Amino acid sequence: MMDRISKAYGQLLTGLANLGFLLLLVMMLIIVADVLLRNLHIQGLPMGLAWSNEVSEMLLYLIAMLLAPWLLRQGQHIRVDIVLQALPPYVAWCIECLGDVLAMLCCWVMAWYSALSTLRSFESGSLNIKTLVTPEWWSLCPLPFIFVLLSLEMIFRMHRLVSGPKGPRHDAVSAS
Amino acid sequence: MMMSSWQMASTLMLGGSMVLLFMGMPVAFTFIGINIVGAFLYMGGEPGLVQLARSSVNSVMSFSLTPIPLFVLMGEILFHTGLALKVIEGIERLVSKVPGRLAVVAVVAGTIFSAISGSTIATTAMLGSLMVPVMLARGYAPTLATGPIMAIGAVDMLIPPSALTVLLGSLSGISISKLLIGGVLPGVLLSIAFVCWIVLSVKLNPALAPEDDEPTVFKGWDRFSYLFKYVIPTLSIFALVVGALALGWATPTECAALGAFGTILLACLYASLSMEAVYKALKGTASISGMILFIILGATTFAQILSFSGASTGLVQFITGQELSPGVIVMGMMAILIVLGIFVDQVSMMMITLPIFMPIVQSLQIDPIWFGVMFLICMQLGLLLPPHGLLIMTMRGVAPSSIKMGEIFLAVIPYVLMSLVLLFAVFSWPIIATWLPALLG
Repeated sequence: MMDRISKAYGQLLTGLANLGFLLLLVMMLIIVADVLLRNLHIQGLPMGLAWSNEVSEMLLYLIAMLLAPWLLRQGQHIRVDIVLQALPPYVAWCIECLGDVLAMLCCWVMAWYSALSTLRSFESGSLNIKTLVTPEWWSLCPLPFIFVLLSLEMIFRMHRLVSGPKGPRHDAVSAS
Repeated sequence: MMMSSWQMASTLMLGGSMVLLFMGMPVAFTFIGINIVGAFLYMGGEPGLVQLARSSVNSVMSFSLTPIPLFVLMGEILFHTGLALKVIEGIERLVSKVPGRLAVVAVVAGTIFSAISGSTIATTAMLGSLMVPVMLARGYAPTLATGPIMAIGAVDMLIPPSALTVLLGSLSGISISKLLIGGVLPGVLLSIAFVCWIVLSVKLNPALAPEDDEPTVFKGWDRFSYLFKYVIPTLSIFALVVGALALGWATPTECAALGAFGTILLACLYASLSMEAVYKALKGTASISGMILFIILGATTFAQILSFSGASTGLVQFITGQELSPGVIVMGMMAILIVLGIFVDQVSMMMITLPIFMPIVQSLQIDPIWFGVMFLICMQLGLLLPPHGLLIMTMRGVAPSSIKMGEIFLAVIPYVLMSLVLLFAVFSWPIIATWLPALLG
C-alpha cells in the first residue's frame, strides 16, 4: 500500500520537475529575447523587455522550488557521507534515521513559519516594488507548499530506509 | 572558562553545521536546520522564524544566480548531443607525433570542454569513459591514462563558464564577471603545465606510452576538417560568452543565456538536437543546479545570523587582533580550504567559510579577485585530493576495473603538486589572477 502511494507521489514530483525543466527553457528564452531586442533595434518591437530581470529572478526561484522535492526522491540533494561510509553499517543506518527525523522536523517548521509569513504579508498588503509591482505574498506562497511536499517525501524516504538494507544510503555527494 | 556570546554563537552555528553535515544530512537541510535554531535564538524567537522564510525567498530570487543553471545547460547540451565526441575526434586528428599523444588530446579536449561546460564531473566522466579504455588498449600506463583526465576535469572549475564561480561570486559579493575572467589565465596555465608534464614524463620514461599510437594519420584537409567543422564553432560559443563579458556588452546572466541558446543553435545546425537530448540535458542541468539553488535558500540567513549574533565580528576581531600579516592570514585561510576540501563538497566549503572569510578580506583590504581566484584553486584541489576527491571517485566509477585505486591515487599526485605550485604562484604574483580582470576596468 505504502509503495503504491509512494509511486504515485513520485509521479507528482516528476511532473513538478518537468514543469521546472520547462521554466528553465522559458527563462533562457526571455533573457535571450531581452538581449536581442535591446541590441538589434527591430522596428515595431520594443527595445528590450524591462521586466525580464524580475521575471527571470522569479522563475529561478520557482525552478528551485519545483525541483527540490524531486531531487530528494532522486537522492540528488548532496551531502557529506565520509563518516557514514566509515562507520559500521548498522550504526550508519541509525544515524541516517536520526538525520531523516531532524530533516523532516526542519521541513515542518519551515512549512509552518513560511505559511505564517505568507499570511501576514497578505494581511498587511506588503508589495514588492521594482519594475513590476507585485504583492509580496505571491513570492512567499510557494514556500509552504514545497516544504509540505518535502516533509511528505521525507516520510517516504524514511520508509525506504527502514524497509531496505540496514546500511547508509548512496546519495549524491557533490555539485561539481 | 566561560565562553563569550560570540564564541557561543560561532560554536553553535559553525560547529552545529559541521556535526549535521558529517551526520550525512543533505547540505541544504543542514543549513535550514541550523538557520531555524539560529533565527530562534538570535533573531527574536518566532518573529525571527517568520523573517527566516522571507530571507530564504530573497536568497534565491537573485538575478546574479541565474547563470548557474544556464552555464550547466551549455555543457549538458554539448555532451548529450554528441558534439563533444566530434570535438575529441577533431583534436585527435590535429595532435600528431607528440609523446603521450592521447593524454595530450585528453587535456586539450578537456580544456575546450571547460570553455563550454560548467560541470567538472561531466567533463571527467565523459573523457574518462571514452578515452581511458582506448588508451589502455593502446598500451598507455594506467597512471598516464587516468591522471590527465582527472586533472583537466578539475580545471573546468577555473575556466569560465563555471557554475561554482558564479556561486562563489554571488555568495561572497565579489564581481562575478571579474571572477569568471580571473580564472581564465590560471586555468590555461595549468592546462599548458599538464601538457608539458605529459610530454616530459613520457620522454623520461618511454614505457608510459606507446611509441606510435596513431592507427590512421590524417593528412591535408582531412587533418583540419574537423577543426573547422566542429572545434572552432564550439569554441566560438566560449568566445561569445567570454567576449561579451570582457567587453561589457552583457551581464554574466545574459552571457549565460546567450551561451546556452548558442549551444542549442549549434546542435540544431549539426542536426544532432533531438527531444531526447534536450530532455536529458535539462534533467542533468536540473540535478546539479536545482540542488545548488536549494542550498542557497539558507545562505543569506546563515550569514545574517552569524552577523546578528556577533559571531562574524567576534571571529574577525579575534583573527585580525593576532597581529599577523595579511599574507599569513590568507595562507591560513587557504590551508583551511585545502583541508576542508578533503572532507566536504565545494558548496558546503563556501557556505561554511565565506561568512567568516569575506569580512576578514574586507577588513584587511585584500584584493577580492585575487582572493576569489585562490579560493577557486583550493576548491579545484579539493576535487583531486585522495582519498575522497570527487574526481578520483568519478574516475573510479568510469575506468575499467583492471585499474587499481592505488594507481588512480598515484596518477593524480603530479597534478595536485602542479595545482599547489599554481596556488603558490598566484599567492606570490597576484597579477596572474588580476591582470585579465583589470583589463575589464
